[in-house]
Formats: sequence, C-alpha cells, structure tokens
Amino acid sequence: MENKIPGFLLEKPSSPPAMGRLRTSFIENGIHHVANIIKTGYIQWETASEDNFFQQIDARVKVLFLLFFVLIVSLKKDIVPEALIGVFVLILTLMARLDVISFYKRVLFFGFIFGFLIALPSAFNVITKGTIILPVLSLSRPHGFWIYRIPKEIGITREGAYGVAMLTLRVMDSLSISLFVLYTTPFPEIIKALKVLKVPDSFLMIITLAYKYIFIFAKTVEDMHLAIKGRLAGHISDSDARKWIAGRMAFIFKKTRLRCEEIFNAMLGRGFSGDVRIYRARRLRARDWITGAVLFMSGIIFLLI
Amino acid sequence: MHIPDGYLSPETYVPFYGVSLSIWAVALKKMKKTLSVRHIPYLAMASAFSFLIMMFNVPIPDGTTGHAVGGGIIAILLGPWTAVIAVTVSLIIQALVFGDGGITCLGANSFNMAIVLPFVSYWAFNLIRGRSVSGPRLYIAGFLSGWLGLSVAAACCGTELGIQPLIAHGPGGRPLYAPYPLKVAFPAMVLGHMGAFSIVEGAITALVLVYFVKHEPDMIYAFRRKEA
Repeated sequence: MENKIPGFLLEKPSSPPAMGRLRTSFIENGIHHVANIIKTGYIQWETASEDNFFQQIDARVKVLFLLFFVLIVSLKKDIVPEALIGVFVLILTLMARLDVISFYKRVLFFGFIFGFLIALPSAFNVITKGTIILPVLSLSRPHGFWIYRIPKEIGITREGAYGVAMLTLRVMDSLSISLFVLYTTPFPEIIKALKVLKVPDSFLMIITLAYKYIFIFAKTVEDMHLAIKGRLAGHISDSDARKWIAGRMAFIFKKTRLRCEEIFNAMLGRGFSGDVRIYRARRLRARDWITGAVLFMSGIIFLLI
Repeated sequence: MHIPDGYLSPETYVPFYGVSLSIWAVALKKMKKTLSVRHIPYLAMASAFSFLIMMFNVPIPDGTTGHAVGGGIIAILLGPWTAVIAVTVSLIIQALVFGDGGITCLGANSFNMAIVLPFVSYWAFNLIRGRSVSGPRLYIAGFLSGWLGLSVAAACCGTELGIQPLIAHGPGGRPLYAPYPLKVAFPAMVLGHMGAFSIVEGAITALVLVYFVKHEPDMIYAFRRKEA
C-alpha cells in the first residue's frame, strides 16, 4: 500500500534545544522584578489613599516622625527599648488599620535576611569573643592563619547572640517605621514634605518626576521581557542574552532621552520659566499638631528609657 | 551593597551625610549651570534610567542571574556629575519605597554607589582607553571601568562596616552595629564583588558601550568631553 504520510512527518525530529530545555531565568527574573515594583507601588498607593486616621495626618508630621524615630532606633543600645519601639509601631499599624499580616510579612522577611541571617555568623566566638553558651564544635587544637585565629572550642557566645538579636530588632524597627509612613502617605506627598528639611524644590521635582516615570518605563521593560519570552522557541545562549539586555538598556536610555525632550517642551508650553516652586503646603490642623506632639513625646520617652 | 538601617553607628552615618550633601549640592549646581532650566527633566529621566538598569537580570556563568548598579555606564554616557544625582535619586526611591537600603545609611550608600562608583569608573575608562574611540582597547576600558568602579565602592562599603566594632561596642566588647571586624568585612565585600557582581557591572558597561559606539557614538559623554 502506498504510504500517504507526508515525508516531513517521517523525518526524524530536529534535535532538542541545547541542554534539553529553555533557559529563560533572566527573563523570568526580569518579569518578576518589574512585577514586584509595580505591585509594591500599587499597594502603597492604595493603602496610603484610604480614609483612616493616620492617612489623614499631614505628611510633614509623618516625615518628621520617620526621621526622629529612625534616629532613636539607631541610638538605642539595648534590646528592651528596641523591642518597646517595635511594639509601639505595631500599635500605630493597628490604629492605621493597615493589613498587619502583609505588613509584618515584609518586615519579617527583610529583618530575617538583613538582620538575622547576615549577622548570624557573628554570634560565634570566631567573630565575637565572650562566654560560650552553645558549644558547636571542638577542634584538636586552635588554628591560625595570617591575622585570623580559630579557637579550639567553637560555639555561640552570649555577647554574639545579644548582638545578633539587637541588630535584627534594629533592622526590623527601622523598616517597620519606614513602611508605616510609606503605607499611610502617598510617595509624592512624602517628597513634598521634605521641604521642611530645606531640600531644594528642583531636587524634589526631580525625585517626583523620576518616580512617576519609573512606573511608566517599568511597563515598557515588562513588555520587552514578555515580547522576547513569546518569541523564544529555542535555547538562548548567555552571551546572546547579555547582548539582548545591553540592546534593551540602550533602547530604554534613548527612550528616557526622548521623553526628557517631550517633558521639557511640555513644561515650556505651560509657561515654565525655570523657577521651580512646589506649592506652599496647607496649614497644619489641630489634629496634626496633637498627633505630632504625641509622637514627639513618645520619642522623648524612648530616648530616656 | 545597600547598607540597611542599623548597621552603621551615628558616628559613621552623620559624617557620610555631610560629605554626600556637599557633593550633591555641587552636582546640582553644576547641572543647573550646564543645562539651565532643562536640568530638571534631564536629571529626572537619568534617575529613571538608573533605576531601570537594575530591573534587567543578566545571566552569569554560574547559571544564576544578577543585576548591575549601572553607575559606571551612566557616568560614561551622561557624565559623572549627572550620575551622582541620577544614582542618588534612584537610591532615595529604593530606600523609601522598597526598603532597599536604610534612611540613616543613605549618605553612606550614596557615597559608595553614587559618588565613588561613577567617578572611579569614569576616570578608569578615560585612563585605560587613552585616545581610542573603537576597538578592543575601548571595550576592555569599558569592562574594567565598571568592574573597578564597583570593586572600589565595595571596598568603601566593607571599610564602613568593618570599622563599626572598633568605634561602637557595648560592655564586654559586644558589637552594637555591624558585627564583623575589618579583617572579615573588607575581604568579604571586596572579594565577593570582584568575583561576581563587579563582573556583571563590567560586562553591562562594556556591552552597552559596544551598542552606543556602533550605533550612536555622539551620545557618549566621555567621548564629547575628551574631544572638547
């Protein structure tokens, strides 16, 4: 019987892509990175726009609170006041009706990575000398190499463990204070509030414009990643991937230069004469003053503890 | 390399704020003088570009990916003073919005990544390339400028962290801030960067430079500056 199967179907399939799989981690990571930025910006914008007590407080009060408390956190040298500041921020978070679980998920994640995990090796007597409270390893004799010394008995010291706990708490406190202000205040308001610190208006304008365009261009970067992902049918070598990335970076650079001209022309079209003046902020209301005073007094108490 | 809050003592972060503030002021004044009223959109877009560079994950030989800081390539394309403002604004947004780097450490982070990195990269690029405007020497200069810039910035960061146990410790020598001594923090930061992150920075600097040399050499500030 005559074989009616087309010839190309009888041919041996072409060899699979090298390594047998598509290696697209740089695309996935890129998309993930961009998506994370857009998501973070959106969540913050949404929570900061809610109609709760702390969201209604003037941004200047909250920015001064942020700077004052971050300074206090960095000055404290014991675990107890650091823990009390942590509890205080938790109370503020509850009062602001923020989503405590997602808020502290982020704080704990960063606190774990940048506080606990990075500092953990310093708990050992190889780094921090002191009384060993948890022996881990015993060597036959101490070892030495150049300026480094490894003692005979290796373990976690009381001083080292205290240092790790202190650093973890400090990182978490600072982060929760920053996130609290960010989740209750729109970013452009925070930037405008920096006027109280005598930051030049032109610099504030640069930050505000950059922030807005980061989100606009983030979408472009995401589209670029999706476009290559959609077209990719075989293996892409690392070298080709790097070339693609360099080309996309150059494209983004040209786009930003082009947008710079457009913005400048739009500014001229609206009568911009070179004098940047961010509008005068409204007067502080009674509740801004009261909240500011309460936060300030709390800060003084934490300083004295 | 973004130092979080809690790692630097006030004795360290206050002077770094002082140094960075004066350099930001000089940079802003220079840009205003050069670009006049155009400096606002120019610096805003440069800052956006500086932030966006970090969104691209570059495949590295060990099978993972990493991202560049971009200080070197921005300094070569737009000039080191523009890079100072652009990377600083990017760091401010990262610290305030994404919790990447501390508020108290902004001065020190800016010193490392927005001042040391662009200037070292720019100077290294001009020194190594000499008069060449194309060819392997130029690309080697591009790679080494990015690699060296980030490595020197890492050395500064390692030093800032490493001096903490010396200047701030509690009773019994317990560390109050960054716990690792200079003999640990410095090599960890420098060797870690020289062998991985600085290579990504160098590769990105060289590859983006290749693109602009081939297609739009007029856009490269370092070329215009040297010819002038």
